[in-house]
Amino acid sequence: MLKSHATRSLLLLAVLIGAAPHAARAQALPEGPVQAFDGKVALGAEVIATGGNADDVAFFNYTDYEHNALRMFRMGVSGVYRPATWLSFVGELRSEDLESPTPYAAYVRVRPWRHRLFDIQAGRIPPVFGSFGRRQYETGNPVIGYPLAYQYLTSLRPDAIPATADDVLRMRSRGWRSSFPIGSPLPAPGVPLISGFQWDTGVEMTWKAGMVELAGSVTNGTLSNPRFTDDNDGKQLAARVGVTPAVGLILGASAARGAWLSRTVAPDSQPAQESFGADAEYSRDHWIVRWELVWSRWGFPHPLLPSDTNTLDAVGTWVEGRYRVSPRIFLAGRADRLGFSTLYGATIGQSGLPWDAPVRRVEGSIGYYVQRNFVVRTSVQGNWRDAGRDRNRTYLSGQLVYWF
Amino acid sequence: MAKRCSLFVIAALIAIAIVRLDARRAPTGAPRASGIIRGRVELRQSSAEAAPRVSVADLGMGSMHEPPDRRSVVYLDPAPRAAFDTREEPRPRLDQRNETFVPHVLPIVAGTTVDFPNNDQTYHNVFSLSKTKTFDLGRYAVGRSKSVRFDRPGIVRVFCDIHSHMSAFILVFAHRYFALSESDGTYRLENVPPGTYTVVAWNESAPLESRRVVVPDAGGEVEVNFALGRR
Repeated sequence: MLKSHATRSLLLLAVLIGAAPHAARAQALPEGPVQAFDGKVALGAEVIATGGNADDVAFFNYTDYEHNALRMFRMGVSGVYRPATWLSFVGELRSEDLESPTPYAAYVRVRPWRHRLFDIQAGRIPPVFGSFGRRQYETGNPVIGYPLAYQYLTSLRPDAIPATADDVLRMRSRGWRSSFPIGSPLPAPGVPLISGFQWDTGVEMTWKAGMVELAGSVTNGTLSNPRFTDDNDGKQLAARVGVTPAVGLILGASAARGAWLSRTVAPDSQPAQESFGADAEYSRDHWIVRWELVWSRWGFPHPLLPSDTNTLDAVGTWVEGRYRVSPRIFLAGRADRLGFSTLYGATIGQSGLPWDAPVRRVEGSIGYYVQRNFVVRTSVQGNWRDAGRDRNRTYLSGQLVYWF
Repeated sequence: MAKRCSLFVIAALIAIAIVRLDARRAPTGAPRASGIIRGRVELRQSSAEAAPRVSVADLGMGSMHEPPDRRSVVYLDPAPRAAFDTREEPRPRLDQRNETFVPHVLPIVAGTTVDFPNNDQTYHNVFSLSKTKTFDLGRYAVGRSKSVRFDRPGIVRVFCDIHSHMSAFILVFAHRYFALSESDGTYRLENVPPGTYTVVAWNESAPLESRRVVVPDAGGEVEVNFALGRR
């Protein structure tokens, strides 16, 4: 099976190289997208090879796809077909660790009025919530690792839920493979606050005027569990307002609410995931600094006894920055924290415990531009968790990023 | 005495060689009329608009941008000696307007300092990783300008670190016998001394093409046309 996956992925890579424009072939590597039909079709690609030490004990960097974000080979082909100035079809196929390519994005983009910055997108669409989700291409991520809110797996699952608070507290720091008594009996990965590895399906609208940008969406899944098809008859509403009060400064605020549990575990109700976010970016000279905060609350169909609450909260916040030391060399770093609300159990944590183990992460990175679209970088990432078999881990990783 | 004679002979031979070399470049005699090399550079294939990196993560189409003006540059290779004369010329600019570098192609003489004013509504981060000149101007506000001096001949590809669709070419020459084509493809190289030259046409979207051309002693106009790209 792996062999056939590998064959398909290598075939994909061969197609990418073969598709490089003739003018660009004279250079070492193509630098821009491949265009055809007078620019109506444009194809781009991204190849990312990340290597580092194993994470199969602490699982700090595992994703909801059960891959390690610091040991991943990813290839993606993205394309735009623009039959008219007001209409585009946009898509991206991705393969991770030489597995079968899957559609990461597939949507139609319409601009109803030529001179207004108002766009409608429908299909598998980019998230309107927050900031990081739309710049997760490796070159938009200053370090190799991901923010905890977008990657770290909490113990919560949309297809299996706890009956009591003790069921939740028993799964602290086991988000990579959690299990609960109601719903699916099989252990499986939990969900992050926001999935950074797959997008939701629905419709979104964006309007930009002057320094303000407004965006809203209606989708099948939720931030932590984006879906291609709806599994609970509930839609997620999400919105973001972004303001650019001065050149180089961007401020944003987001909110989202949607039914997150599968109807198999909540057939008579639609408990919601509610989220609020705030983000800021400031850049000047050779510096860029970003901050983002994501607060999320997951609802359950019953109280988590002996606590009287039927919701669990989590907050992820981080600050990151990048400094370009020279035209080719940059330094980057991120300080990140993920915290959880307190839950009171009957046999575990009678005096109250965060319902999942809080995590702190610091990462520093140095990168080198071989050419504009070919970056080599290495990073050191330290992780600290308040519970679990392995509470502290440091990872050294390296990455090659190439795109056109 | 013999040593002195040898030195004299060597010096005389060097002097003769220099005079002959000089004569090959610019024959002696009365001041001769200079010529003009002119013509047209045609691009056979359609010049597709420079596309930004395909980004599926955008929430919309963004602003519409004018396609870059992909003009050609025609130059002499090698250049006549007079080409190396210094001449005061206004300082060129590579402007940033509507998320576009203006002009898209800028030919200059080595030693020239180019200004990069930001006349847009947003930040830009002009940089180049070209071997000819590597620089990164960072992000600077609207209305401000930074400059770069280009000392080595060669081609410098200029980009914006924020807007992937922004690009420009700076062609740095060791001499001043070059011309940027007009929007209709016509060009004109003036004050070319009589002699035999290779005229080269460059365009970013096609391989180089060259022609041998003779500018007669009487001067006058010589027409050289190019058709770049695939047939």
